[in-house]
Amino acid sequence: MSEIDTPAGDQPIWERDFPYEAVAEEEVTRREFTRYLVLGAGTMAAANVGLAVWTQLRSINTGEPRAIVALADVAVGDSYLFRYPAERDPAVLLRLDEREVVAFSQKCTHLGCVVYYQAEEERWHCPCHEGNFNTRTGAVLSGPPTRPLGRIDVEIRDDGQIWAVGRRQ
Amino acid sequence: MRTSERGRRTSSAVSLYVIILVAFQVFLLTVAVEAFQTDHESLAWSSAAVSVVLAGAAAAFLRYLRP
Repeated sequence: MSEIDTPAGDQPIWERDFPYEAVAEEEVTRREFTRYLVLGAGTMAAANVGLAVWTQLRSINTGEPRAIVALADVAVGDSYLFRYPAERDPAVLLRLDEREVVAFSQKCTHLGCVVYYQAEEERWHCPCHEGNFNTRTGAVLSGPPTRPLGRIDVEIRDDGQIWAVGRRQ
Repeated sequence: MRTSERGRRTSSAVSLYVIILVAFQVFLLTVAVEAFQTDHESLAWSSAAVSVVLAGAAAAFLRYLRP
């Protein structure tokens, strides 16, 4: 065999001499395309599991115990806005009587709008879709929500402060 | 119908089915985000479980796809 006829690597001699490429060579085969789809499906499944884990970990009632406000600073029937367990989590407490307070996440369990206390109706109200919740328990009274408000366990301590105790629901 | 023609149609059907599964995955991802925003743990886990099953089904269908 002469030097001219020696193939360079795996490339055939004819292809070296006539470097012609068909358009179809650039196309992705059906199997490759579907493999990309399966890879995408796997990625989205992993993202879904990650979101579920994150949702589980950021439960509203599992923060560090801390003082929220002095009891004397909240009149009976008044509500007080605070953030718990993290700064990004809006929450609200309500002083029911002299020695009783309740606190909930301010996020409506329907689509996450902010609820507020309606004193005249004695209920938590979500203005986005007219969801209403029981003042003491956070249970759904009416509207589209199907789950109660996220409760935050609070207690009045001897120092006169209202504390979020960070207990598991 | 010739065997090669039937095989090609079967492969196309498998590809189409995998496309539908992936589209459903996108929907499930939006459900998971909504569950995350509203602290709905059971919904988030349900969505994740269905998503994993669908991804497994898509991978299984890939085995039946002709080269």
